[in-house]
Amino acid sequence: MTDAAISLQSAADQKAIAAIRAKNAVWRRILRDPAAALAAAFLVVIVAVAVLAPWIAPHDPYASNMRLRFCPPMGARCPTFLLGADNQGRDMLSRIMFGLQATLGMGVIAVLVGGGLGALIGLSAAYFRRLDTPLMRLVDVLLSFPSILFGLAIAAVLGTGLFSLVIALSVASVPSIARIARGAAQSIMQQEYMEAGRAVGLGDGALIWRYLARNCWPTILIYMTLQLGQAILLGAALSFLGLGAQPPTAELGSMASDGRKFLQIAPGVSTFPCAAIFLVVLAFNVLGDALRDALDPKLRQ
Amino acid sequence: MISLPVLLGVLLIGFLLLQVVPTDPATVLAGPTATKAEVAAIRAQLGLDEPLWVQFGRYLARVLQFDFGRSMISNRAVSEEIALTFWPTVELMLACLVWAVPLGIALGTMAARRRGTLLDRAIMALSVMGVSVPVFWVGLLLIQYVGGAGLLPFQGRNGPIWTAAGFASIVLPALTLGAVFVGPVARMTRTSLLETLGADYVRTARAKGASDWRVTLRHALRNAMIPVVTLVGLQIGFLLGGSIVTETMFAWPGVGRMAVGAITSSDFPLAQGAILILAVGFMVVNLVVDVLYAYLDPRIARS
Repeated sequence: MTDAAISLQSAADQKAIAAIRAKNAVWRRILRDPAAALAAAFLVVIVAVAVLAPWIAPHDPYASNMRLRFCPPMGARCPTFLLGADNQGRDMLSRIMFGLQATLGMGVIAVLVGGGLGALIGLSAAYFRRLDTPLMRLVDVLLSFPSILFGLAIAAVLGTGLFSLVIALSVASVPSIARIARGAAQSIMQQEYMEAGRAVGLGDGALIWRYLARNCWPTILIYMTLQLGQAILLGAALSFLGLGAQPPTAELGSMASDGRKFLQIAPGVSTFPCAAIFLVVLAFNVLGDALRDALDPKLRQ
Repeated sequence: MISLPVLLGVLLIGFLLLQVVPTDPATVLAGPTATKAEVAAIRAQLGLDEPLWVQFGRYLARVLQFDFGRSMISNRAVSEEIALTFWPTVELMLACLVWAVPLGIALGTMAARRRGTLLDRAIMALSVMGVSVPVFWVGLLLIQYVGGAGLLPFQGRNGPIWTAAGFASIVLPALTLGAVFVGPVARMTRTSLLETLGADYVRTARAKGASDWRVTLRHALRNAMIPVVTLVGLQIGFLLGGSIVTETMFAWPGVGRMAVGAITSSDFPLAQGAILILAVGFMVVNLVVDVLYAYLDPRIARS
């Protein structure tokens, strides 16, 4: 509120500006694109399913029943299993719901942790010019490491499991976010209000937090969303290789890997988790493209 | 992009990461019945009792002589193991690039020329799907429908690519790895071609009466290739990673599969060697990309 208190704009001006802002709000422009609106709606449903999985899953994802082994979707043996049963007779639909929880959860945590760290590096590099070269060199080193190798190396060091997977995914999302944050912060550094802030005697901390970070975070947040699809894809690949979630944990990548052995008998056991990963990542990418277009009108003409 | 500090950093990260492996390699090597003294002797023999920076310095000196140590499992020289696996990986990547890049460029060009039409939208939709599909799903589908039907082999490499058996065995892995590559190439080609198609020199070419295709191919596409080459260069790092999944799925004897095996069995000389080769490979590709730039855009070479 202090910002508003010292503002030179009249209340009417502010109202008009707010109206224009609301009309051109990025999310409104995105939702005008039907594909992006569909993707957004799909993701809302998926996130709800993932969060509510323990309450809405029709069956226990870990309750095995060997008599229902490889039961086809809604087959005679398992009429209530909408997607059939896996090699241990567990309900595929419930496992996919819990799998979404694990897969999305690790992606979100990783992107928040890695993105936060990346943003810190990027902002510091832009603000403290002397740190720019060393920090960006570090980012180059991280970038030149194919991210799946982080997963392998970290799994070797900390053991396989969701924890090492999240660390690997976080590390993998640091460098690209750091670059984006630096780019965004550098253009903010050119703004007169940065100089003005310095002139009125604000310290580094206040300048970075109140002027730099607050003006950069929308860009950074958007790139974090873009990164989420990639993080989920990478995490699923690592789990598929056996380096992430371990059985019997319901996680989409490791479920796909489990089902690989029964490809000829019951393809659904690996196909359904694969399709779930694909649809979620696709939705994130469609939404991400719309975000990019909305933010960069040059590409739209 | 390619510079000594970056290379040193990669070496350091690979070295440090693998230093903290929880299983003590000396204990593993000595076996379960070894006494403490025997373990200590092996430790000293491997140089594991010295400070880390000494070990790192020694590692650097050896790496410069292409000596990456010996595998702790097979006891063969790591350089030998890399030499065995290096070509299959390169082969797989080339086999992937050779169909995926031209197809991506062709699709991107078509989309840009028919911009806004149904064809454009269909190609772009396909490209987003290509970016979003997990590599292993493509592989699983190919194994299920093509491999399962006995049409093509899907386990291992049956020889060099120029032999019939070798060629047959590379088809499915190359299709799998390339499937995720067509999309980004098509999309980048389209964006970049749309930009150049609006450029002044393109209008000049049109004005002097060059045919539509000649303008697209000779004037616009060559300039549009610059960002595409960058993307392909950058994606090679991603491909190096993506090939790990493909190699593992198809039991392809490449560096990626070797790296997974080495890391999971805490064979750290081999893992270090594999990681270093993958990182250096990425840098070399970037150098090649820079050279390609100069060819595509002589202005870069002159500056």
